Order: sequence, then C-alpha cells, then structure tokens
Amino acid sequence: MDNHGTHKPAEQEDAGGRRRVLTFLSAFGLIGSAVLSAFSNFVFIKPRATYGQPSRFHVGKPDDFPSGTKLALEDRRICLVRDGNQFAAVSTTCTHLGCIVSPSDTGYSCPCHGSRYDQDGNVTGGPAPKPLAWYKISMAPNGELEVDKDQEIEPGTYFNV
Amino acid sequence: MSETTEVPKKAKTFDRLRVLPQEVWSSLFRHPLPDSDLGRSQTSFTNFFLHIHPVKVNVHTLKPLYTMGLGLISFFLFVILTVTGILLMFYYVPSVQQAYDRMLDLRGSVAFGTFLRNMHRWGAHLMVAAVFLHMCRVFLTGSYKKPREFNWVLGVVLFLLTLFSSFTGYLLPWDQLAFWAITVGASIAGYAPVVGKEMQFLLLGDTAVGQEALLRFYVLHIAVLPAVMTLMIMVHFWRIRKDGGLSRPEEAALPVAAAEVPKARKFGLQGLVRGQVLNAGNSPEKTVYSWPNLFMAELFVFVFTLAVILVLAMFFDAPLEEPVNVTHPPNPAKAPWYFLGLQELVSYSAFWGGVGIPGLMVAALLIAPYVDRGRKGVGKWFARERLLANTLFVSFALLNVILVIIGTFFRGPNWEFVSPW
Repeated sequence: MDNHGTHKPAEQEDAGGRRRVLTFLSAFGLIGSAVLSAFSNFVFIKPRATYGQPSRFHVGKPDDFPSGTKLALEDRRICLVRDGNQFAAVSTTCTHLGCIVSPSDTGYSCPCHGSRYDQDGNVTGGPAPKPLAWYKISMAPNGELEVDKDQEIEPGTYFNV
Repeated sequence: MSETTEVPKKAKTFDRLRVLPQEVWSSLFRHPLPDSDLGRSQTSFTNFFLHIHPVKVNVHTLKPLYTMGLGLISFFLFVILTVTGILLMFYYVPSVQQAYDRMLDLRGSVAFGTFLRNMHRWGAHLMVAAVFLHMCRVFLTGSYKKPREFNWVLGVVLFLLTLFSSFTGYLLPWDQLAFWAITVGASIAGYAPVVGKEMQFLLLGDTAVGQEALLRFYVLHIAVLPAVMTLMIMVHFWRIRKDGGLSRPEEAALPVAAAEVPKARKFGLQGLVRGQVLNAGNSPEKTVYSWPNLFMAELFVFVFTLAVILVLAMFFDAPLEEPVNVTHPPNPAKAPWYFLGLQELVSYSAFWGGVGIPGLMVAALLIAPYVDRGRKGVGKWFARERLLANTLFVSFALLNVILVIIGTFFRGPNWEFVSPW
C-alpha cells in the first residue's frame, strides 16, 4: 500500500503472491462453510424417523380369508388376495401418481388418471408406468400373516400356506 | 428565531404547547403537500414508502393500455394475501386432527372468518392469473430484452414461487381436494430424474402425505416462500429503476438532439442508470412528475384490485370439501385449476407431462432473453419485428390455457372425456 522507493519489485511480487494465497484460502473457507451449512440444512430437514404407519404389520390368520378373497385393506394400502392356498399382498397405491386404486372385476382401476391393471397388477391401460407392487408375506410366530411393505417381490410370487 | 425578544417564561411554555401538534406533524412529514415542482420532487426523495419511485416518469409508462397495471395488480394481491394470511394464522392449527375443524370454525364462529378466507382464496387464484398475464405482457411487448434480461429471469422465478405458494396453501384446509391434489403433485415431483424420490421425501417428510407434510407445507406457505418472494419482489422493483424504468418504444426514449442537451446535464447521478433513458436526456414534455401522476395511477390500481377481491369474497364462498379420507380419492381427483393443464399432460405420461415438458417450458422462458437478442420492437405490443417470438410465445401460452380448460371442464370420472353441456 505505501509505495516507498525502498520496495524492490521482487518483494512486491512476493507480497502479491502471499496476498493471493491468503485471499484464495479465505474465500475457500468462507464458500466452503456456506456450502457445508446449506448441506447441513438439507440433512436437518430430512427426517431420520417418520411417524407414519409401520411398514410391517399383521393382517390376520389365514383362515380369516376364505379362498377367492380379494380384500382391500384400505388403511394399509394393500389388497389381500387368496387363491386356494396361495396368498398375495398387492399394493393399492397407483404407480402413476400415488392415488388409491380400487379392486374391480377385471383387476384394479385408478380414479385419478384412469390407469387400469389386471388381477396380477399388470398395466392394461392408462398412464401407469409399471405394475402394482407385490409385498412379501410371511407367517408370524403367532400364526398370523405378516406383510412387509419394505420388501417388494416379483409379481406372481405367492405365499403358500 | 435567534433574535429572541423578552418573553415571559409562561408564554414560552404555552407557545411550545401550542405548536406541539404542528411540530409532531412536521417531524412525521417533512414537507407539506407539494404545490411546486420542488415539492413534487421531494415526495420521492423524502418519503420512505415513495422513495422507490423516480421523481419524474416517462408519459409512456403511464399509458394504461401498455402495462394494464398487471405487475402492480400482482404486487397488491401479494400484499392483500399477506395481510389476510396473517389474520387467518391467528385461528389455524397445522395438525391433521384440528386443521379441518378450524376451517369449520372460520365459517361458524370466527367474526369475518368466511370473508377473510374467501379473500385469501380468491386473491390466490387471481394472483396466479395476474402474474401469468403480467408475464404475457412483458413478453409480447419485448420488455425482457437487454438490459432487462435478468429482471425477466427474476419474474419467471417469481411466477414459479407464486405457483408453489398456491400449491402449499392448498393442503392446509386438509379436505379431500387438498389431500389428493398434494398426493398427485408430490408424486409428480417424484418423477424428476435422479433427485425425484429424495425431493418427494424431503417435501412430505414421510413416504405419504400426512402430519409431517401438513407441517412442512405450512412452514413453507407462511414463512419460507413469503420471505423469499418479498426479497425477490424488492430486487425485481429495484431493477426496474436501475434498468431505466419501464420499457418503451425507441421514439419515447430517444434523447433530444445532442445539441439541445447542455453538456453539464449529462453527468447527473442518473448517469449511473444504464441505457439511453436518462431523464436528463429526455425532453421535458416526455416526462411528468410522479406526484401526482404515477401515484394516482398506482392508487387507482390498488383500489381497483381491492374492490375486485372484496366483491368476489362477498358473493362467492371458498369451497371446502369433505374432510380427508386417505382411503378414498374423489373421482375424478383434480388439482387446483392452474395445475389442471399439468394434470392433463400427466394423464398421458407422468414423466413427460409432470417434469419433462414443464421443465423444458420453464427453461425456454429463462433463456429467452439471452437467445432472442434482437433489439427491435421493444415497447410495442405485437411488434412486427418480433412476429416469430410472439407467435411462439402465444402458441405455448394458448396451449397451456387449452390444456387447463380441457382438464377443468372436459374430464370426468376416471379422467375420461366428458362434455360439460
């Protein structure tokens, strides 16, 4: 800043270099902390625990559902299907935009945008991009069927009692 | 004043008391109502609420048919929505158990509750429309061109924020329409590439719309979005001034011949304003004092806007559907009208309708001023020089309007085609 004649050009260059490095480091620190704090905000608003329904639940004993049952468990957003000794839990959440499909004679149909599915949940019409999900069923120790909505299985894979 | 005469102490005190109201008044308002040009200039200089205005304004700016006051209408609607929104907050609780009951309370037991909710609802609808029309005006008059490119970008972002504010507000009554419109809307967000599912989860705070989503939408609606919008509106207004006022045709902006402008006048503070639109360069007859011309025009637009809202709120009640039933979507489940064009597109393909095409349209709007760089035809409606740009814009705007009309009137149960008559 003070430009006395005593300063040699080389020294001035050194000072300039030092200043550049310091500027760069400070800018790096400031911008870095800004980015980190923005990122931590996202970490903050992403919930670690949710308060909604549990994704694993019991639906009842196999004998509660006679063969040929096609029962929509509306609160759970699944449809429980029994065919002989085979059980399936088909999702009733439309794969298009998350409306609830209702069981119909030919399968399932969605009221929001007119997607239609067959009995196995395969798309037969409308804008739905993929078939309805099938969830894993297992037998709980107390003899009830347990559905786990965290585990999707291959459509058409039945659980045999 | 300094030449004090011998005055008894008592009389002095009395004098001070006598002039007290006048003193208070003049401390509040530094100048009397203007009766001279100096006074008229001082209104903008000394009043905080008026200081965003220029002292003088180009006569072209005041032509009602040029701007139709659409930007001001949008702003005043924002103000009305803020005021009615804050009042509604006194009675609203963002809880899935209480929200709907609070809506019924607004109707049943809160003084002016229905009226305020009506004002807020119709104000929101009108604001979406006004902001859209304002955007059309700016495009069709070529006002987004240099040096106003960035203000156009701000405007597009403000339009999106307006839509998002409307969308977040829609969930709050917690009725059937609210629940299913937001279920559909959030699922659309889920179709965005890579970050879609994450975004949906962040927005809802859960895998489905529920208490967390209600709280999040509430916070966005009453705090985050209004704060961001206020800031951006301030920058939007500030830039109008810095970009040289409202756009106008070249004839109106042309400085008088150089010989007529004294050299000394060319270097005022106004010289910091970009472009050839300096007041110093304009011949006197092209500008008029903001007081009273501009302020009266603004007052008129405000009173007009408020009157429309009041009349609407008086005669039409904001709808409230059945309380949320998470197991039974209404058939058809429809989003608010301004999203029905989107919903119509979505019924063909969720990705292209919900993300792809809207994304491309927004991107096109954002880069328009940087691509369309011709300098001709600014400040005129439907200028011949801008035939191509205007035709493209009008086509896309009409396409959106038609999609909204189809979605609103021609779609029935299972989103099948129905005839409204």
